[in-house]
Amino acid sequence: MTFSRLEDRRLVTGAGRYVSDWNFPGQLHAAFLRADRAHARIVSINTEAARAMPGVRVVLTAADTAAAGFRSLPCAAPIPGKGGSALLKPERPVLAGDVVRFVGECVACVVAETAIAAQDAVEAIIVEYEDLPVAMTAEAAVAPGAPQLHPGIPGNVAIEFETGDPAAVAAAFEGAAHVVSLDLHNQRVVGSPMEPKGCLARHDASTGDYFVHVCTQGTTGMRAQLVATTGVPDEHVHIVAEDVGGGFGLRFNAYPEYSAIMLAARLAGAPVRWVASRSEVFLSDEHARGVTSRGEVALDAEGHFLAFRFNFLNDMGAYIAPTGPVVAVLSIRACLAGVYRVPAAVANVRLALTNSVPMAAYRGAGRPVISYMIERLVDQAATDLGIDPVELRRRNLIPTAAMPWKTVNGLGYDSGDFPAVLDKALGLSDWNGFSARRAEAGARGMLRGIGIATFIESTGGGASPDEVEARFGDHGEITIHAVSHSHGQSHETAYAELLASVLGLPRERFRLRNGDPGVRLAGNPTGGSRTMHGVGSALRVLADDIIAKGRELAARALEAASADIEFDNGVFRIAGTDRSVSLDALIERHAAGPERVFDTRSSARTGSTFPNGCHVAEVEIDPATGVVSIERYTAVDDAGNLLNPTIVAGQMHGAIVQGAGQVLGEHAIYDLETGQFLTGSFMDYAMPKAVNVHGLTIADHPVPTPTNLLGVKGVGEAGVTGSLPALMNAILAALRPVGVTHFDMPATPARVWGAVGAARAGDGRRFAHA
Amino acid sequence: MSQVSLTVNGKAVSVDVEDRTLLSSVLRENLGLTGTHIGCDTSQCGACTVHLDGRVVKSCTVLAVQAAGSDVMTIEGLAPSHDPSGATLHPVQQAFSECHALQCGFCTPGMIMAVTGLLKDTPDPDEQQIIHGLEGNLCRCTGYVNIVKAVKQAASALRA
Repeated sequence: MTFSRLEDRRLVTGAGRYVSDWNFPGQLHAAFLRADRAHARIVSINTEAARAMPGVRVVLTAADTAAAGFRSLPCAAPIPGKGGSALLKPERPVLAGDVVRFVGECVACVVAETAIAAQDAVEAIIVEYEDLPVAMTAEAAVAPGAPQLHPGIPGNVAIEFETGDPAAVAAAFEGAAHVVSLDLHNQRVVGSPMEPKGCLARHDASTGDYFVHVCTQGTTGMRAQLVATTGVPDEHVHIVAEDVGGGFGLRFNAYPEYSAIMLAARLAGAPVRWVASRSEVFLSDEHARGVTSRGEVALDAEGHFLAFRFNFLNDMGAYIAPTGPVVAVLSIRACLAGVYRVPAAVANVRLALTNSVPMAAYRGAGRPVISYMIERLVDQAATDLGIDPVELRRRNLIPTAAMPWKTVNGLGYDSGDFPAVLDKALGLSDWNGFSARRAEAGARGMLRGIGIATFIESTGGGASPDEVEARFGDHGEITIHAVSHSHGQSHETAYAELLASVLGLPRERFRLRNGDPGVRLAGNPTGGSRTMHGVGSALRVLADDIIAKGRELAARALEAASADIEFDNGVFRIAGTDRSVSLDALIERHAAGPERVFDTRSSARTGSTFPNGCHVAEVEIDPATGVVSIERYTAVDDAGNLLNPTIVAGQMHGAIVQGAGQVLGEHAIYDLETGQFLTGSFMDYAMPKAVNVHGLTIADHPVPTPTNLLGVKGVGEAGVTGSLPALMNAILAALRPVGVTHFDMPATPARVWGAVGAARAGDGRRFAHA
Repeated sequence: MSQVSLTVNGKAVSVDVEDRTLLSSVLRENLGLTGTHIGCDTSQCGACTVHLDGRVVKSCTVLAVQAAGSDVMTIEGLAPSHDPSGATLHPVQQAFSECHALQCGFCTPGMIMAVTGLLKDTPDPDEQQIIHGLEGNLCRCTGYVNIVKAVKQAASALRA
């Protein structure tokens, strides 16, 4: 059967409706004045000239948001800090009034009749600043004598987390035959969805209702944060989200601009739309990663891991984004020792505030931080000890028979077959044939390397149950409502196919609404690769609930006891007879009546799942240019049962290449002295392109999880969790023979070329961060 | 202000715009053709790609006044250009859907317009020509793997 998604037709014909595509009568346009410096006291803001410009309707500053009763944007820690300590929360205003703390922070908002007029007026606002010293890196921010960003957060450390048993680890290191350590920097990146973020707010003065059209990953989180910030009661905030051009984690939170646009719409008495330019996206979208880390592994004489010790210092930016602490710590805690049998492990995570854009989730959201740390450390140990990297992993993998596995810090993995996943990847990648390929490449003057990563990750458990609702229309259509928003993940198709297969109805009967202000459901935004096990399980319950209703109606229609009614492939039948009635016929008979008997709301609550995999990357480096080419990439993943393998493969492709983007070029760079952002456009920020990836092989080794009704694990982030370490291990494998001993991402041509040259001159660590 | 007359998707239109107005703004704001997307402000992403007198251009890099008298085709006009009834998709659109070459769909209209132009100039492109042809269009979702596949499928469909 030809593949196609239910969402495709509108998207390939240009009929999608993204935020900037909405227009309402009388609509006005907003633009923001942003801080042009990284740390400064605001002495005065003069908006007089701007207010007098043609077409200007409203100018907002911090005085206006204060008058409206706005509060700090929210933030929280998912678990207590070390010794029970609490998160020190910085006050984060919607519009800065006293101090600006990063380049791009919003200072004022102008609403005018056209977007161009609003931008012109923004440029007429005069702000007098008194510059303050800056702290641009986490290391600089926690150093003695560093500039202090917030009152009440001494040393710029908002919280310190610890997971694991430091005493047990110290004892293990005491008695170890070998200790290997590695410093790594996981550089700051910008998620860069292709749709720049935007917001359109309408205010109904007669009811007090706000309708907020916004780029979101799910209405519940967005609404809760807007309510917390604006003080507008929950029942008056309605989030509208149709098509959204990518999320990747950075559209979970309510950006300050959105609250400002709500206020602007009320004060202007008209719909107000704001769409960010790409420059604004770079300056104000949450950035991600930005973690300086040190890992140590203790081994016995036979190469068995005795203990892991990790220290992470996270650059959190100037404020704590709502999801920032979650990203910083939860994945590390959930998968502290990866796929390995380790008697002791500990991780320490410190969150530091710097004069930069706040950091939060980006595909992987901490998973590629811990997997990158562990897998590069394991490779370093293999190199230092002279053990084959595959053999070292094999010696330490958690055996399949040991599942379910209690992890070293007391959590657990429900299922997995790590050795088989490894074997399959070795076979598909022709690991054993590598030396011949390296020799062939060497004859052409190229450096060829192969790298491996065996990894595991934890998918989001969800903060609330996932509710779904089916509404049966008058013309046979069945509308499914869910919270988790679809912005590339193909939920429209996946949900419909799941329900169609259980109910025996064509998938075209189903349509999905996940940003409909008329339907309020409990649930979780899309994130943490959790939708199919969370919402999917709820849909499975929904299908069963619909079948149960159908069974009662069928029993009546067939004049039989409902216990005698079987359901198979869309048909209810009295067991052992040929007397039957289809679900479709019952829907036609009953669904449209005033009682709407088939309309159903169901829910499910699932925990985390543990997708895992083995990725093998093979790269070729031209030492004359430093260009890295990915020649082969093999991904074998255990994502549990696959509902639609084409969609799953698409998720893998995208995530692997996002990892390749970070490995090969993406790097968000601030000037360390001025705090200016140096990579603020697609000319300066190297997004991956089609040229970067060749020979991708995607395969699966499903071990269905018993923890949800579908046996599915998450799949959205595994690609990047695997590709970051696999690719960098391959690059190091290619560079070690010329004398490079350490190298931090990104492997841009200039850095790789420089590393090769420095290594040949005797310095193998020139392009290491630390 | 200038009055600009042009043909868009076969229809004659005339708009009054400030001289600094971009073609992309005219298409989206004046004509309501929101399938042409704006993804950057430096002509890197290609989401705004349209055909101007049969050539592939990024409409964010063309002033509306430069397009005066020209013939513009946007994503909304592509399927009808292939099948005036609009019932079937253009082979490039069809291939993108069948190859799962789109996820969030934001880059897709620009990708499709760029690929349609590529295949007009190079009806039987090899892998390198496809990769080179996609150089001016960014996608964050697909990793380009299935886009390259879709270009190949569309190429053979168009040659058939």
